[in-house]
Amino acid sequence: MGSLQKYYRQSATYKIFSGMFQELATFLDTLGKISENGYHVFKYILKREINSKELIYQCDRFGISSLPITLSIVGMTSIIVASQVALEMVKQGGGNFVGLLMTILIVRELGAIMSGFAIISMIGSSIASEIATMRVTEQIDAIKVLKVDPIQYLFVPRILSGMIMMPLIVIVASVIGVLTGAVTAKLSSGLGYRAYFDSMWLGLYMKDLGVSILKSICFGGTIALVSCSFGYHAKGGAKGVGEATTKAVVWSFVSIVIIDMLFAIAFFF
Amino acid sequence: MSIEVKNLIKTFEDKRVIDNISFKVENGETLAVVGFSGSGKSTILKLICGLLEPDSGEINASEGDIAMVFQYSALFDSLNVADNIAFALRERKDLRNKYTEKEIKNIIQEKLELVGLKGIEQKFPSELSGGMQKRVSFARAIVTEPNSILYDEPTSGLDPISSTLIEDYIVRLKEETNAASIVVTHQMSTITRTADRVIMLYNGKIVFEGTPQEMLAQNTPYTKQFVTASLEGPMQMITE
Ligand SMILES: Nc1ncnc2c1ncn2[C@@H]1O[C@H](COP(=O)(O)OP(=O)(O)O)[C@@H](O)[C@H]1O
Ligand SMILES: [Mg+2]
Repeated sequence: MGSLQKYYRQSATYKIFSGMFQELATFLDTLGKISENGYHVFKYILKREINSKELIYQCDRFGISSLPITLSIVGMTSIIVASQVALEMVKQGGGNFVGLLMTILIVRELGAIMSGFAIISMIGSSIASEIATMRVTEQIDAIKVLKVDPIQYLFVPRILSGMIMMPLIVIVASVIGVLTGAVTAKLSSGLGYRAYFDSMWLGLYMKDLGVSILKSICFGGTIALVSCSFGYHAKGGAKGVGEATTKAVVWSFVSIVIIDMLFAIAFFF
Repeated sequence: MSIEVKNLIKTFEDKRVIDNISFKVENGETLAVVGFSGSGKSTILKLICGLLEPDSGEINASEGDIAMVFQYSALFDSLNVADNIAFALRERKDLRNKYTEKEIKNIIQEKLELVGLKGIEQKFPSELSGGMQKRVSFARAIVTEPNSILYDEPTSGLDPISSTLIEDYIVRLKEETNAASIVVTHQMSTITRTADRVIMLYNGKIVFEGTPQEMLAQNTPYTKQFVTASLEGPMQMITE
């Protein structure tokens, strides 16, 4: 029996299954930690126990410093999409709908998700590595010994700033995207601005704007919460900081795509 | 104002790092904790200040705050020296509205002077030497007027002069606050200059307890090996 068990433990089947179970356990554990942290954060927010000085600093960091790159990425995405859309639609006689289609695409989807990707790579990674460094250099222990709750001091201002700034970023980015689309359509297929903007209004629904803002709030909060959590639970030295940052970025990406999908199913099916 | 530890047990995974340890530190007394790296000295401090939960056993500290001075200072690197020291006064729920900004400024001054520093309020931790960082972390730790102070290797990695300076401040803080202090250290000078009593840890247990003089007398195999820094003796560094 002993040797059979030993043989079994060396088998590929065992390794694959135990590996899968371990992955699953780690996944559930991570999900649990993130939810628990999120629960405490929202309790503080509801109780209005918010450090306003930190909040302002974090809003500045979240929104302002990342703006040039976020706007460039959304603008360029819009160029990429508009150059395809405009060319084909004008060819097929649908030039009057280019503005409509671009507006729908950008307001409903591209503005938020591309801004989200940009924010994850700039802000999410920086939050995760910052907090992970604080963990491995015992700064988080120091906060606890001084009887301050790290969730309140570190998480709350970062997550709240994400929920405040993300919609603003997405609104500005969407405006830039729609405008860039108009210029691209004009340059690539000679479509007049008049035709573009007339049909733009047809594609602009209040509901879409509302959903987009709601979605951005979820994106901003999720990116900050996931990044804070992975940083907070980092282990080990410099390697631990690197691992935490990578995981934070990957999980943030996956999370916002899932959220985006859920929104699409809920509102546009 | 005392710290009492009874039958403390702490296990990490399946390794028993603290194995039924008891001791007491009175107010105004300083206890040195010595032992190999990895013998659980930091773990004891973390258990006492609540960063870790014991598997079993009791920790009784008399009312009031427990301050901890971390091995690598653990200063907040995004805050300047003044904000580091004032952290608890500004962020802690029960202290947040207790002092005006002017009073906080005075407290910062006072604590900095206590550790022999002046005019560095606006500097960031990365701009300070290791010894100065240590002293700022002392100031940060004692800002809440704690009744117990824990030091994790306060003189490790410092030059001999800086070490002496730190040792003097440990004695001075004890005299000013009458706190119960625990100093984790490897350094003979720190033991003889600061401690009233010493305990030595090995394999999770206390293998020696006495005064620094008794330790230096090398009357037991453990103290003999430690004081002479010998490879021969009852304590073996096992590499797994
Ligand atoms: N959080 C932890 N998880 C697992 N093992 C730990 C943890 N903290 C400490 N240990 C282990 O406990 C032992 C004692 O650690 P520590 O108290 O830091 O020793 P010392 O301060 O005496 O050098 C070491 O073997 C260390 O690897
Ligand atoms: Mg240690």
